[in-house]
Amino acid sequence: MIGPSRVAELEMPGAAVETAAGRPAQSYWNESWERLRHNPIGMMAGVLILIFALIAILAPAFSAVITHFQPQSIDLSATFRPPGATHLIGTDELGRDTLTRLIWGGRVTLGVAFLTVGIALTVGTATGMAAGYYGGWIDDLLMRFVDTVLAIPAIFLFILMSILIHPTPITLAAIIASVGWGSVARLVRGEVLSVKQRDFILATRSIGARDFRMMFRHLLPNVLPVLIVAASLGVGQIILIEAALDFLGLGIQPPTPSWGNMLTNAESYFYHSAWLVYFPGIMIFVTVLASNVFGNAIRDAFDPRLKT
Amino acid sequence: MLAKYVARRFLASILVVLGVTAITLALMKTTSGSYVPGIDLNPSLRPEDIARLRADLGLDRPGWEWYATWIWGVLHGDFGHSMIDGSTVWSHVADRLPNTIELTGTAILIGVLIAIPVGVIGALRHGTKTDHTMTVVSVAGFAVPQFWMGLILILIFSVTLEQHGLPWLPSSGAYSAVNGGDFFDRLEHLILPATVLSFFYISTWSRFIRSSMLEVLSQDYIRTARAKGMSERRVVYLHGLRNALIPLITLIGLELPGLVSGGLVVEVVFGWPGIGKLAFERALQYDYTTVMGVTFFATLLVIAGNLLADVLYGVLDPRIRYG
Repeated sequence: MIGPSRVAELEMPGAAVETAAGRPAQSYWNESWERLRHNPIGMMAGVLILIFALIAILAPAFSAVITHFQPQSIDLSATFRPPGATHLIGTDELGRDTLTRLIWGGRVTLGVAFLTVGIALTVGTATGMAAGYYGGWIDDLLMRFVDTVLAIPAIFLFILMSILIHPTPITLAAIIASVGWGSVARLVRGEVLSVKQRDFILATRSIGARDFRMMFRHLLPNVLPVLIVAASLGVGQIILIEAALDFLGLGIQPPTPSWGNMLTNAESYFYHSAWLVYFPGIMIFVTVLASNVFGNAIRDAFDPRLKT
Repeated sequence: MLAKYVARRFLASILVVLGVTAITLALMKTTSGSYVPGIDLNPSLRPEDIARLRADLGLDRPGWEWYATWIWGVLHGDFGHSMIDGSTVWSHVADRLPNTIELTGTAILIGVLIAIPVGVIGALRHGTKTDHTMTVVSVAGFAVPQFWMGLILILIFSVTLEQHGLPWLPSSGAYSAVNGGDFFDRLEHLILPATVLSFFYISTWSRFIRSSMLEVLSQDYIRTARAKGMSERRVVYLHGLRNALIPLITLIGLELPGLVSGGLVVEVVFGWPGIGKLAFERALQYDYTTVMGVTFFATLLVIAGNLLADVLYGVLDPRIRYG
C-alpha cells in the first residue's frame, strides 16, 4: 500500500506541474491561443495587420473624410507637389494624391494577398487530401502533376499567365495561387499519410464511415494546424510576389493603384520627386514584416516543435 | 545504389521537362493564338504576307505538331531561331548567360562569405544582444522588396551622389557602351545589383546556418569532443561547422534555377542584360522559340539543382541512404 506521503515522495519536482490534477485540461486551440497571447511582438504584428486591413476596408471613408481626394482624380495643375498641408505626402505625375492612392492601393494589395492564400489553400488541400487518402495511382498522378508545376520557374508562369489572362485583382490572385497550391498539396499529403496510420482512423473505418466523412470530419481537423501555419507564413511572400508583378507591369493595371504599380514609373521622377519612391516601398516592407513576424508567432503557438 | 537512384531520378526528370515545356507552349498558344511576333512593327503587311510568315514560322500548324518538331530539334541540339530577330536561340542564351552568371555568382559568393560568419556568431552568442540584433536585421531582410531596395540604392548611389557632384555608381547595364567593358568598368556596374541580390541570400542563409549550428552544437559528439579536452575552437570549427554546413549545400543547390529566374526582377530594375531579362522581354513579345528555349534551360537547372543537392548531401553525410 502506498499512502499519500509516499506519493509525495515519489513525485519529482517539476514533473508535478505537468500532471492532470495540477493543470486543468485545455483544448489544443486554447493552449495555442494562450501561447500566442503571451508573445507580445507577435500580437503587435497581428494588431498592425488588423489595422491595415481595417484602413483598407474603410478606404472610401478615408478619402471622403480625411484626404478629400479620390485615388484616380487627376489634377494636372498640381503635379509633383512635395509633401505639404493639402497633399500630406505629395502628388504624382498626374497630380493624384499619394496618400489616397496608398490607402486604396493597400485595399488591392491586401485583398489580392488574402484571396491568393484562400485559393491556394483550398486547391492544395483538396489535391493533397485526395492524393494522401486514396494513394495508389491517384497519388502518383496528382503528385507528378504537382512536381511539374513546381518545376516551372514561377516567374515564367506568372508572365505567361498574366499575358493570357488580363489581370484584375481576382485573376491576379488566381495566377499567383496557381503556383502556391503545389507546396500546400505536398504538405497536406504528407500530413494525411501520417494521420492515416493512427488508431482512431482505423476505429472510424471499422464503424463504417464513408470516404467523404473520413476526409472532412476526421482528417481535415488534424491537418488544420499545419494549414494555419502555412497560410500565415505565406501571406508575406505573396505580398512580395504581387508587388513585384505589379512593378513589372504584369499585375494590377493602372489607373487602379497598388503599392507595386505606384513604383513602376518612379525611376523616371527620381531627380525631382523622391517621395514617390519612399512611401509605397515602406508600406510593402512594413506589411510584409508584420505578416512574417505574425506568421512566426502563429507557428510557435500552433506547432511548438518547429520553434527555432 | 547511388547510380540507380540517379538513373531513376533522371527518368522522372524527362517527364517533368516534357510536362513543363508542354504547359509553356500551351499557355503561349492560348495567349497569342495566331499572332505573328513582330507584326505590329510593320503596318503595311498584307494578309497574304502574314499568312506566309505564319507558315514560315510554323504557326499555322496545330500545337502538338509544333511541339513534336521542337522536341525533335532539341534532341538534335537545335533550339531553333528566335521569331523576332531570326538569330538562333542558342546564340541569345550564350550571349546573356555569362552576364547572369557574373551577377548571380558574385551574389551567391558574397552571400556565403557573409552568411556563414554571421550565422556562426549568432549560434555561439545565442540569446545575447548581438544575436538578437542579427535576427532582427535578417527578419527585416526577408521583408524588403528586392525591386524597391534596388530603386532606393539607385536613388542614393547614382542620383543623389551625382547631384552633389560626388563620384557615383552607374545604375543600369553591365558595362558602359562607350569606352567600357574593362574589369573596373564591369565591377562598377556590378556593385549595386549584386548588393541587392546578396542581401537576400545573406538574410536567408545566415538564419539557416544559425539554427543548423545550434542543433549540431547540442549533439552528443560535440559533448564527447569537449569531454576529451579538445580546444573550443577545434570543437566549433572542425566538428561543429563542418556538420552544420551540410544543409547549406541543399539551399545553394536549390538556388541553381535562380541563375535564370531568381535575378529576373533585379535584372529588370538595373537593366542588366541577363537571361532573366531576355525571358521577360521575349515573353511579352510572344517569341515562342526563345521562351521555350529559356524555359527548357531553366527547368533543367531546377532539376539539376535538386539532384545535385540530394547527391552531395549523401556524399557529405554518410548517414543518409538513398531509397
